[in-house]
Amino acid sequence: MSRWLVPVGVAAVLALAGVALVNGLGVAAPTRAEQAQRLAAELRCPDCAGLSVAESTSASAAAIRAEIDAQLAAGSTADQVRRHFVERYGEWILLSPSAPVAWLLPVLAVLAGLLGLTIWLVRRRAPRAAPAASPSAIDLQRVRDEAEALDA
Amino acid sequence: MRRLRWLILPLAVIPLSWVLLTGFSVNPNEVPSALIGKPMPTFTLRTLSGSTLSSADLAGRPVMVNFWASWCGPCVQEHAVLLDAQRRYGDRLAIVGVIYQDSTDAARSFLDHHGDGGYPDLLDEGSRLALDFGVTGPPETYFVDAMGIVRAKQWGPLDTAALESKLAKIGVSG
Repeated sequence: MSRWLVPVGVAAVLALAGVALVNGLGVAAPTRAEQAQRLAAELRCPDCAGLSVAESTSASAAAIRAEIDAQLAAGSTADQVRRHFVERYGEWILLSPSAPVAWLLPVLAVLAGLLGLTIWLVRRRAPRAAPAASPSAIDLQRVRDEAEALDA
Repeated sequence: MRRLRWLILPLAVIPLSWVLLTGFSVNPNEVPSALIGKPMPTFTLRTLSGSTLSSADLAGRPVMVNFWASWCGPCVQEHAVLLDAQRRYGDRLAIVGVIYQDSTDAARSFLDHHGDGGYPDLLDEGSRLALDFGVTGPPETYFVDAMGIVRAKQWGPLDTAALESKLAKIGVSG
């Protein structure tokens, strides 16, 4: 039992040191200013045409940037700040929709279109069965009548 | 399959007609309010006349909160409707103006020129209250019932028909 203790202990210490090293070398947590900038880039400026709060110089955009700074300074997380604005403006305030279905719908529409096109192309290329060329009973009777008339 | 070919035309025409009909009846610039059915944001702000008004002071009364600015053209068009609303419903309805991104001097000058209804106009420094209401630009008006719940929003200038239909939603009529 005791001969396993040392290698297991060494392995555990090495593993912990590795985790600490990876965390230490990993991407540093964003500063508050960086977080504020990212949030401002995600939010739509309320009184501009298609600009983010980060890009706009309007008074509303400035007010939202000030509110983001105030909320982050008060200890709110980025998610809480995002939710704060969504509760007041709705999902409209987010430049990218948060609901996964909004991203999936166009993909599904394209896939359905491709499927329809494939079916149409396959059917178009498939050779059509030739129509049966059997004479009708009336045609046969007419030919017989004509032949009899010629013989007579 | 061939027997179902007649379905192609209605399947293409009906959804397209529906999209066109509903699309043209909606203003794409109008943002529906996320506050409908929720409590009105709370506030305590100074008014243009120098007093202080708090949302708690309005408790128990239907409230109409109008965001306006002197630089806003449609606000001029709407102002007569607001003055008329104060005259007709002032005894049952609290009208509150909120000056949106404007100077106090310009706001006073606007009221001197177009008429002062006598209802309070709040000074919203930093647009905090406008952000809490989710305002996208003046004029915008929010209709709050006596329980303090936002029931309707008017995007753009109010006319008499819109005023009456939205006031009915907060129990103010006649």
